Amino acid sequence: MNSAERKWLPKLIVLAIFLSPILFIHPKTYITLTISGLAMGMLLFLVSSGFSLIFGFLSVLNLAHGALFTWGAYIGFTSFTLINKWTGWGGPDSIFSNIVIFLLALIIAGLLVSLLGIITERLVIRPVYGSHLFQIFITVGAMIVMEELVRIVWGPNDEVMPVPMNFMGSWDLFDVVVSKYPLIAIVIGLIIYFTIYMILRKTKLGTIVRAGVENPEMVQVMGHNIYRYFTGVFAAGSALAAIGGGMWATFVKSIHPAMGGEVIVFALIVAIIGGLGSMTGSVVGALMVGLSYNYVAYLVPKAALGITMLLLVVILSIRPTGLFPEGT
Amino acid sequence: MRKEALNPVQRFHLEEREIRFRNASFLLRMLLLAFFVFTPFLFRSFEVLDVVLKIIIFSALVASYDVILGYTGIVSLGHVLYFGIGSYLVGIFMGRLGWTTYGHLALAFLVAIVISGVLSVLIGLFSLRIRAIFFAMVTLAFMEFTFILSSQLRSITGGEDGISFKLPGILAIDFSYGKFLGVEFTGRLISYYLILILSLILFLLMLRFVHSPVGRVLQSIRDNEQRSIALGYRTYLFQVIASSFASCVAAVAGGCFAIWVRYVSPDSSLSVPIMLDVLLMVIVGGMGTLYGGIFGAAFLTITRAFLPKLQVLIASLLPGVPFAIRLSERWLFYFGLLFIIIVYFFPKGIVGTAQEILSRRKVE
Repeated sequence: MNSAERKWLPKLIVLAIFLSPILFIHPKTYITLTISGLAMGMLLFLVSSGFSLIFGFLSVLNLAHGALFTWGAYIGFTSFTLINKWTGWGGPDSIFSNIVIFLLALIIAGLLVSLLGIITERLVIRPVYGSHLFQIFITVGAMIVMEELVRIVWGPNDEVMPVPMNFMGSWDLFDVVVSKYPLIAIVIGLIIYFTIYMILRKTKLGTIVRAGVENPEMVQVMGHNIYRYFTGVFAAGSALAAIGGGMWATFVKSIHPAMGGEVIVFALIVAIIGGLGSMTGSVVGALMVGLSYNYVAYLVPKAALGITMLLLVVILSIRPTGLFPEGT
Repeated sequence: MRKEALNPVQRFHLEEREIRFRNASFLLRMLLLAFFVFTPFLFRSFEVLDVVLKIIIFSALVASYDVILGYTGIVSLGHVLYFGIGSYLVGIFMGRLGWTTYGHLALAFLVAIVISGVLSVLIGLFSLRIRAIFFAMVTLAFMEFTFILSSQLRSITGGEDGISFKLPGILAIDFSYGKFLGVEFTGRLISYYLILILSLILFLLMLRFVHSPVGRVLQSIRDNEQRSIALGYRTYLFQVIASSFASCVAAVAGGCFAIWVRYVSPDSSLSVPIMLDVLLMVIVGGMGTLYGGIFGAAFLTITRAFLPKLQVLIASLLPGVPFAIRLSERWLFYFGLLFIIIVYFFPKGIVGTAQEILSRRKVE
């Protein structure tokens, strides 16, 4: 086997595995499932990328990520409701104003939660850099506190997440049912992925942050305050969690205070599969989890979660450090 | 043998053995045990008995978690999974299958131990291999997975409703042996003593484990992994051993819990909130002490038992202030704050801090 074959063979096998459900499913259903799987994957990517970013660059296992996600969903919910009350942009009139109000709510959620992230990093996490054990405790404590704050501020009950009118329903392309929102989610997810990737690979900021992971002392010698960059990375990770929270809430159309804890487990699995600290890994891992979850949920509904765990076990045994190396 | 001829470790052991039955902490331990034994005679109310028994079970569970966390230095976030396995096997054997005999009760415990042992070895083998930090994530994922599984497989686990069941013979609720010292010996009380004895055995086993040569190796891994590797120990195998041992202990504790409440459900014995409780107990009590678990469990269980009364008090003091009532309802919020504060200022917990103060005094 020559080296080119060796490089492509695993990818082809993975592709074949993900195409194989077409043998059991009607092609039209397959396409519908694939699109919702890709959308779920993109939403998972948003959550796990923030988590993976923080772990990869700060080496902090941030278990409070799920709570930041919940905060994002709730702030998105409130800001959407308020803006909609003032302007009525969430109504059925035009898809353009729908997109504006949706993005506005996401941006507000991202900004406010990144502020929350900065506060958390400064107050709680900075004193325990370098000690995984205490990081886990501290972030668990921060998670409890933040989740309870959600319950205090918004009340402990479920709320119905408002969805822009034109995002509901589906298009009918050549007899294939394509829901609208999943497509929008895929597009937003891809835009965010390329933005992060470009920032990390092509800008000076990205270079400094990546260098800070390799050798913090050297970066400090070069005159950069590494802790300021760390705070920035933490804020960016929090903002990603918040955007993921807002989009996830719109996807499932409801929010509740414990939603973060449920999604964080998926984010963990995705981050481990993709390789901690790798953006590309997060995308690939999230898409794998999203697609396999949807196919299996259609074929054997009860085994849907099992397939995710199976994926984790298989990948950890083949490639113990995840699919992609840190920093890619 | 002369004392000078011994190596430092042997000398340490000799000194330890000489004062074993004479020092204050031994007396304290015996007092604690006596308290647990005589609780049914001291307090006649069922509520107190319930609180004390939960302290006993959770002490065993927290101590088993401490074997992983405090003595081995690896973080598991899914330890309650094994607790749940123990509970569920007793529940399934007694309730779902209806095999209410002593033999099957023992069998349920045995099967729970075997399943927990095998599962934890498997999880440990493929997640501890790389980085200890993966272990935390993978165990959390597995616990969440089992939680969802247990609420979905209605035919086996009864779904979210759980299983309530009856226990055989002298453990059954309607059994009564007659009165002794003015206290009626019902099936409840007999289960209390059974669980006390089982927990005591578990505790002694864990003490033996952490003070055994294997336990010493584990502590060396916790303190300096590189050095332990250099000394020729395959650290990762030792970590797997520790985690599987602790898991088996947790499974037995889970079975005891099921015997006491005669009911199992995903929320009562397998959920993330219980894991958070265990974490908090270990932090409050102190890592790497084993006895800390008792204090941590006592603190949390007692606080939790009296919190509803406190809430009623606040609601009656501040009527018409919904925000204050909402604040008082969210006691978990304060636990979270407490958690952070303790990790900052008393990273060794109650027992650890006390030990430190005592040893400092001894030196002076």
